[in-house]
Amino acid sequence: MNHVIQLERVTKLFGSFSAISDVSLAVESGQAVSLLGPNGAGKTTSIAIMLGLQHPSTGKAKLLGKNPGDAKIHEKIGVVLQNVSVPDRLTVTECLNLFRGFYPHPLPLSHLLAIAGLEEDAQKMAQSLSGGKTRRLQFALAMAGDPEVLFLDEPTVGMDVASKRQFWDALREFVTEGKTLILTTHDLQEADVMTDRVVVMNRGRIIADASPEQIKMEFGGRQVSFVAGTDSPIPTLRGWAEVIDVQTAGRQVTVVTRDSDVTLRRLIRDNWDIRDITVGGGGLEEAFVRLTNDKEGKS
Amino acid sequence: MKALVAQWKADLIRTARDRRFFVLTLLMPVGFYLIFISEQKGTLHIAGTFWSAYFMVSMATFGVVGSSVNTLGVRLATERKSGWVRWLRTTPLTPVGYALAKIMTQLTLSLFIVMVVFAVAHFGQGVTLSLRQWIEIILWLWIGSIPFAALGVLIGLAGNAAQVLGTLVYLALSLLGGLWTPIQALPKGMQDLAHYMPTYRFAHPAWDLLSKRPIHSSDMLVLLIYTVIFVAAAAIIQKRIDSRPESA
Repeated sequence: MNHVIQLERVTKLFGSFSAISDVSLAVESGQAVSLLGPNGAGKTTSIAIMLGLQHPSTGKAKLLGKNPGDAKIHEKIGVVLQNVSVPDRLTVTECLNLFRGFYPHPLPLSHLLAIAGLEEDAQKMAQSLSGGKTRRLQFALAMAGDPEVLFLDEPTVGMDVASKRQFWDALREFVTEGKTLILTTHDLQEADVMTDRVVVMNRGRIIADASPEQIKMEFGGRQVSFVAGTDSPIPTLRGWAEVIDVQTAGRQVTVVTRDSDVTLRRLIRDNWDIRDITVGGGGLEEAFVRLTNDKEGKS
Repeated sequence: MKALVAQWKADLIRTARDRRFFVLTLLMPVGFYLIFISEQKGTLHIAGTFWSAYFMVSMATFGVVGSSVNTLGVRLATERKSGWVRWLRTTPLTPVGYALAKIMTQLTLSLFIVMVVFAVAHFGQGVTLSLRQWIEIILWLWIGSIPFAALGVLIGLAGNAAQVLGTLVYLALSLLGGLWTPIQALPKGMQDLAHYMPTYRFAHPAWDLLSKRPIHSSDMLVLLIYTVIFVAAAAIIQKRIDSRPESA
């Protein structure tokens, strides 16, 4: 029951095309999880199944221990979907009050306006807002019922840098209150900053599921670069357990490693004739590129 | 219940700000009424009543059908296309609640349209009926508008075609159902056809009530059959749409 979300071997077919295949995922209460992947990876379909907007072709989906379509559990969730506009001919305040009317214990209007930063636009028509402000209004609408679980499908698309910052601050507050967050994104920074678990998807499958740090370490690979002396046994580097790849350009050697500390220690201990040592790289970005380029994912 | 009321209130606010609603469903029936009555004397007798009263009912039904079939249909199609309906499905407002809120809105608007047309006829053209007749006719036009709301929901599922389809159906039903020209003045073939039109079956009991004739149960039966057909068709199509990759 403490699984907030549970997907069990879920496959979703549209005709003969499988949007997601054999996806299993369990999210505990209080986790902040990002679904990361390129377009068409199956993130939106996964969210749609978690929310009961789509039914699995095979497999099972549960939300807060119940059938995702159950209206009662919808009182505990907030959602921002992609490609959704706000209603016409309603002001920002009226939109918020509409959503507040849906939930048994809504947050106060002033609080919602504040988290969206829309105090000055409260009386404006919702549809006349700019793209970034519309996204913020949608976030406030998702927060209207004081949700325990928040689903955000690409929440910061169309936001400028300042809006993004403000949005992340609001989200962080939500997460530190011990609530559960699921977001899809292809903004790696967002996944890194906002969530403590990254589920990487590609071609309808989960290809990695770990903390951002683990993913960076395992798939990003830190780089140790140096200029090697002429008699250095470069090929032996490949035999080291933590080494992923070795590239050479003349005497300049770049070692891609899962653990730069171990690699460095070995180099020093074995007394390699090397100089100009630098350690760097290993962002989530590199991990992501490595993961999604690799068809089968996990090594 | 609270969610339903919130949605109903919001929809009424939105309609009050919608120019299309006022032009199509209020200005047109009222305008036609005033034009046709002054052209063809209101004191002419028709179907046991005066032309001014008969045509008042015609135009009230015309307005109600317009707002249900056309305005509601387009509104629903737009909300569906914008992904708004998809979003609402993740809130505690159930699909049934959403549909009920739309129908409540529609019933509120229908009542409003009928009252406006009747007020124009009464105060502008001196149409007088007994209090009981007024109440009976208003109640009938109110309840009888339900199948048209269902038709509006059905047309709302037509996506981009909803606007064209809604307008076509609305005008065709009004014409063929004898809302513009009384069917007594139409050729025999069209009279027969009119008997199959929900619009005729909707207006007919009200015309009967005007002339203090008993109302026919066959009118209600036909409307009931239409309601079942519209609701069933909407449910089937809705189910198909839901199984598509993304309705947004």
